Amino acid sequence: MTRKIPHELFEKGLITEAQFQKIETITSGRVVSVFYELRTMLYLGVMLFTTGAGILIYQNIGDIGHIVSLGLLTALMILCFGFAIKHEVKYSNDRVQSPIPYYDYVLLLGSLLFISIQGYIQFQYGAFDDHLGLNTLVTAFFFFYLAYRFDHLGVLSLAITAFASFWSLTISPQKWYSGEFFSGSHLHVTAIIFSVLLSGVAVVLNRRQIKKHFTFTYLNFCMFIFFAGSVAGLFVDEHLYLVYVLLIYAGCYFAWVVAKQRKSFLFLLYAFLAGYIATTYLLAQTVFEAAPTLWFYYSILSCGGFVYFIIRYKNFFKQA
Amino acid sequence: MKSAYNYQWVYNLAVVKETKRWAKHNYITDEQFVKINEGYKVPFYHPNLIIRILLFVATLLALSGVTGLFFLFVADAGSVGISTMCIGYGIGSFIILEKIFIGKNHYKSGVTEAILYHACGFTIGGIAGLSDFDNTQLLLIACLVVFSFSAIRYLDLITSLAAIASFAALLFYNCFEAGGVFKQIIPFVFMLSFSATYFITKKLQRKDDLNVWSNNLLLVEAISLVLIYVSGNYLVVRELSVNLMDLELIEGADIPFAFLFYFLTVFIPLLFLYVGIKNKDMVLLRVSLLVVALSVFTFKYYFIPGNTELIMIAAGAILIGIAIALMHYLKSIRNGFTRENLLSEKWQNLNAEAFIISQTMGGNQSVNQSGGEIGGGGDSGGGGASTRF
Repeated sequence: MTRKIPHELFEKGLITEAQFQKIETITSGRVVSVFYELRTMLYLGVMLFTTGAGILIYQNIGDIGHIVSLGLLTALMILCFGFAIKHEVKYSNDRVQSPIPYYDYVLLLGSLLFISIQGYIQFQYGAFDDHLGLNTLVTAFFFFYLAYRFDHLGVLSLAITAFASFWSLTISPQKWYSGEFFSGSHLHVTAIIFSVLLSGVAVVLNRRQIKKHFTFTYLNFCMFIFFAGSVAGLFVDEHLYLVYVLLIYAGCYFAWVVAKQRKSFLFLLYAFLAGYIATTYLLAQTVFEAAPTLWFYYSILSCGGFVYFIIRYKNFFKQA
Repeated sequence: MKSAYNYQWVYNLAVVKETKRWAKHNYITDEQFVKINEGYKVPFYHPNLIIRILLFVATLLALSGVTGLFFLFVADAGSVGISTMCIGYGIGSFIILEKIFIGKNHYKSGVTEAILYHACGFTIGGIAGLSDFDNTQLLLIACLVVFSFSAIRYLDLITSLAAIASFAALLFYNCFEAGGVFKQIIPFVFMLSFSATYFITKKLQRKDDLNVWSNNLLLVEAISLVLIYVSGNYLVVRELSVNLMDLELIEGADIPFAFLFYFLTVFIPLLFLYVGIKNKDMVLLRVSLLVVALSVFTFKYYFIPGNTELIMIAAGAILIGIAIALMHYLKSIRNGFTRENLLSEKWQNLNAEAFIISQTMGGNQSVNQSGGEIGGGGDSGGGGASTRF
């Protein structure tokens, strides 16, 4: 479909000959880019390597080889961070371009090795037994530092995850699946407070023009934790369900404001799902007990109405 | 069969999407992009991906209510009655999709997909219900027909995938049922059929009047390659032989033609890789990377028990090594390959551009980076039919 577009546009005079030549080289496939392939390979390589290293460390605990492997991995980690520092670019509040194509991956490798090694020392020597929380917090702040210093979204996500786990919040789908996410007594309350505070920080940083491209990552984590926490609260603290319904509505409003400002709609998707669960729960507690067949009309009208609304105001939902 | 969508608009949308990427890389100026937008009007309602997902989920939820009511009405009709009405309901959904939504210029809006899959499900479910769910042949044929129809008429990729899967299942089922020698040669039947599919697809891609299905054909092309490999893969053949065909393997014994399958497991990825590089065929190249990984896994599975973590470390190190080496090697253009990102993100385009200019025009053009002032946010959506029609 796209093969003949450059030629057609050139013929119609919509692009110049120079532009046509340039674009045609790419679209005809005379020059092909393996940009994404190489990046995917690097990423998979880093993931395989660090996962393997993580398993290796745990399996060989107590062996004579573990000191050696630990030493090697530490050396490699230092090498990675050394590489990052050697080729560093000056800090800026804006997005920073990586100096070398694989720079980001070396930094990621170093950070993931850091987690493995630290986990190992923890396990083997009980080194941080009394300070488990503190240890996680230090990791989190180290990663926050790395993320801001070297402008790395991946490491930022690691930092947020570590920071959340300091508050005993596990950001991992498997854990949720096995029901461990909110196994503790009032973790959903922690989740709500955590996400509200962290998104507050994110908004302030955004206002101050500090690494504005990080804001989305922050908010994404926060929204997810917030809605997961509130929906869990809905079912855990049944007698307080009205509070959680209102909280979810507040979250939906926030998602709406963000969508309006940033023209990014991922949060609306979360908001819709959480809001729908909350509304349904509310109605189930009140109206539907009397008339069950209302369910069908309800799902048709509510979702149908929602679809109509989005289509009716389609210009609002257009990406910038 | 014709597509349900207006060809010219689908084409215009492709032009707008393509030139948007050019504009992002500053191959063309923003003013030019706005001008192109004006020349290629797209009256479709085709929102961005997130909104599409949102609409898709909401529509499915709404449809679940409709379905609930539907079953309330037909609950007493008996099993044949219910099946017939399901087919009727499914076909009705197709008509509603076409008349109401596509008629109102929805194009892959999320709503259309939801209704389409819903319609497919009811039609196929109804047909299966008519035969009491025990006629596999009929069910597979129904799947193939309905999914192919949806894929072709609505240009849908997921039903394209489902159609290929139904075709493969039908092929397998019939060879399997035929028994005897047919059962033995299933891998070769698959390799032959999908090689044929691959080459036919390649041929169809060159036909201009099939342009509107280019994405579907691309999908068929890639899946055919994967299936060619999979049907010759030692692990797949062995496990399927043992599990489905009651092949008893005593200690130390191997499947029939084992060496052939070992050979194919090694040879096909290398072949894909070689031809992919030689012809600069990105589909082949990507599939080859995937199947190389599957081959490594196959050999690890049978020959290196345990030591998973060491293999992971080694594989990871090798991948990182190769990728970094290639990034250095492709710093400048080699055989038409480059490490630079030619069409998408903005931050690399200066390098890429300078680089392409130096390649294609021998550096005799002046680099005119106007940067481009933002020319009044052009809007591609807008209602009203294009004057062409």
